[in-house]
Amino acid sequence: MANANKIRRPVPKQARPVQDEGRPAARQETRRPARDVVLSVSHLTKKYGPNVIVEDFNLQVHAGEAVALTGRNGAGKSTVLRCIVGADRPTEGTVEVLGTRMNETNADIRRTVATVIDDLDFFPDLSVVEHLDLLARAHGLDEADALVDEVLEEVQLVPQSGQLPGTLSSGQRRRLALATAFVRPRKLLILDEPEQRLDTEGIAWLGRRLRSELDEGLAIVMASHEPSLVEALGCRIVELGGPRG
Amino acid sequence: MSELTDPTPAPEHQHVVLSADGLPQHLVDEKQLLLLMEDWRKGRATRNLRQAISDAYVAAFTFVMLAAMLISVIIKAQGIASECASGTCQAARGLLPWSALAAALAFTLAASRMFGPVLASAAEGFWLMDAPISRAKVLVRRLWLAIGAALGMGLAVGALVAALTGSSPLAIVGWALAAGLGAAGLTAFAAAEQGAERTLAVQIVQWIVSLAGLATLMMVVGTAAGWFTLSVTDQLGEELAFAVAGFGLVLMIGAGVIARSRLNRIRRARLTSGGSLVSGMQGAMFALDFGLVRDILVERDAVNRGHVRPTRGVGYGLRALVMRDVQRLWRFPKPFFLLAASVIVPYAIQALGLRALNPSISALVLMGALIPFFASLRVLSRTGGLARCLPFSTAQIRTAASIVPGVLALVWAIAAAPAFIGIGSSTPHRAPIEGTLFSIAAGLAGFVGAVRWVSAKSADYSSPMISTGFGAMPPGLMFNLIRGFDMVALITFPLVLGWSPWLSLTFGSVAFAILRMGKLNSDELQAMQEEQKKLVEEQKAAARGDKIKVTRGR
Repeated sequence: MANANKIRRPVPKQARPVQDEGRPAARQETRRPARDVVLSVSHLTKKYGPNVIVEDFNLQVHAGEAVALTGRNGAGKSTVLRCIVGADRPTEGTVEVLGTRMNETNADIRRTVATVIDDLDFFPDLSVVEHLDLLARAHGLDEADALVDEVLEEVQLVPQSGQLPGTLSSGQRRRLALATAFVRPRKLLILDEPEQRLDTEGIAWLGRRLRSELDEGLAIVMASHEPSLVEALGCRIVELGGPRG
Repeated sequence: MSELTDPTPAPEHQHVVLSADGLPQHLVDEKQLLLLMEDWRKGRATRNLRQAISDAYVAAFTFVMLAAMLISVIIKAQGIASECASGTCQAARGLLPWSALAAALAFTLAASRMFGPVLASAAEGFWLMDAPISRAKVLVRRLWLAIGAALGMGLAVGALVAALTGSSPLAIVGWALAAGLGAAGLTAFAAAEQGAERTLAVQIVQWIVSLAGLATLMMVVGTAAGWFTLSVTDQLGEELAFAVAGFGLVLMIGAGVIARSRLNRIRRARLTSGGSLVSGMQGAMFALDFGLVRDILVERDAVNRGHVRPTRGVGYGLRALVMRDVQRLWRFPKPFFLLAASVIVPYAIQALGLRALNPSISALVLMGALIPFFASLRVLSRTGGLARCLPFSTAQIRTAASIVPGVLALVWAIAAAPAFIGIGSSTPHRAPIEGTLFSIAAGLAGFVGAVRWVSAKSADYSSPMISTGFGAMPPGLMFNLIRGFDMVALITFPLVLGWSPWLSLTFGSVAFAILRMGKLNSDELQAMQEEQKKLVEEQKAAARGDKIKVTRGR
């Protein structure tokens, strides 16, 4: 994998901040107070019929902070993430992103939160590079072509750039899914087991990439079973569910 | 390298089954294997067919009711046909079975290419095809089954269309045999080509048959409108139908024998690919999710294509989404042909004297023709993941993804307007503005129907079930059957009843406005209420001269 530090932070065309004193726009973001609350989850409860999956879950995530949800299978990690991104409605409790109540269909929320959870779908008739190009352009990135090329190279999908998603291996599909999060502006990154189907080298790259995202002031919430990834990011660990049995 | 060039011949297959202790038992008998499989399948059934039918009395009752309705429609159609006394009308009606025959044959070839027509399940591919057995003996029943299914369906379609167009009993038999034996013959031909690992000949025949069907449909319109005359008598039509049936029979026998001899040569991957497609579609059909059935076919088509020449996007923001749909049209122009062909339908219906039903039937056909153009909307609405990646609200995304199909529907409506105004001298005419409004309303109905069809949510199996005569059902399952059709019915019923087309246009606009929202999201409404409340408080505070307290981090 290419060096993550080379990657530029995408800035939307319409919302590109005016560069001050010749500094790059991305640097200005890092000068903001580092302890802004990006995500706030209060008293989140999710039930499926009589089954309580998560009860009274609370979480606050600040800019530049990474939180790892850990726990055994079925502990509710993915459920919490689905509630956070608005894919599922919590039975009780609230989720706020940058002070705005979470609503999956809200354009402002979608502009701010990049997610890679299990419901990501692809257009069957668009190639790998066209997916990334569409996302970059939809977000108004004026250097879409260059950014897409960089991200494509970083996730090692250049040889597959013209392939349709149906022909990709599961690992390649995973890398494409991750690329969709890196090719667009974001302030909060939600990842459900991002290490899934990646090889050892890929996990190491992901660790470096997410580390650089944190340095840029992003907030990350992820569910993970990969100790090396959690360690690499210096995550605050939130364990869900009790021991099995 | 010495191992690689070792000339020692590979040992021959002994076709022997070994027991657990490694001792040979007996030679494999394909028939016994099939009987064993049948025993497993039937032996595990807990009810026989009679018990199942008595349990499913509601289904049986529904079937009887539908059959009665069909017979009633046929009798009515025969009555209407007797009123079709003019030469042009009769000639046009006489051509309709030809068109249906061509459509049935084209469909048969398309289905044969898609599924095989000889296929095997993944399990059979893994367990049986790898065994030292004669593949042909295992597959021969599949071949006869495929040919038999084509024969049965062709017979039914041919007889139905001939009956609906008011043909004589002998003509009904002739058309039924033509469609049935023709379809069976072409299935056998496709199977023979499958054994030879070729598809080109089948593709060419499919194109020829499709174009013949389109040409016949255009002749129906031209004849009924009086643009030209065709001297095809009923007797000649019957004779030609029997000739087609005879040719189909010869093809079925000849190609069937060739296909049988080539069964051993079909690759396992080719067999199981059709089988896995069928099993995927079966699952979707159990959920009555025809959108999912189409998704499976589209995905399969994409996998077969594998690779495209990437094109750079155009524009930014929502424009990028719209322009991607435009680029799709250039890349995959095939649906254009279907859309272009669908323009003929309102002309044909008008020509056949079904003026009152024209908006509804034409809108249904347009709905089917527009669905392939909604590729973006389909993917962006079936799961939330990709839509969440885009910085737009659901309504914005759905509107953008509907622009290109909307423009196409408008073009269709303009092209079909003369049909709704009236063609030829034998049919009554409408005022040009009224006819154009009828056409636009039919176009809108087809468009909104297609939006509903591609964007409707599947049945939710995680929600509490509803008790029905068919057993427990998730809410929404039955609505899957009518999605899209409900919109067409809603928008076109004022036209059928002879009310103002403006009413249809209003219904259509309101329906689209609701569909583009995705769903009435209570969270969204609550958030909007909170925002408004905050704004009111801020305004009140400003009026009092207080400092405005900023509560949000943005």
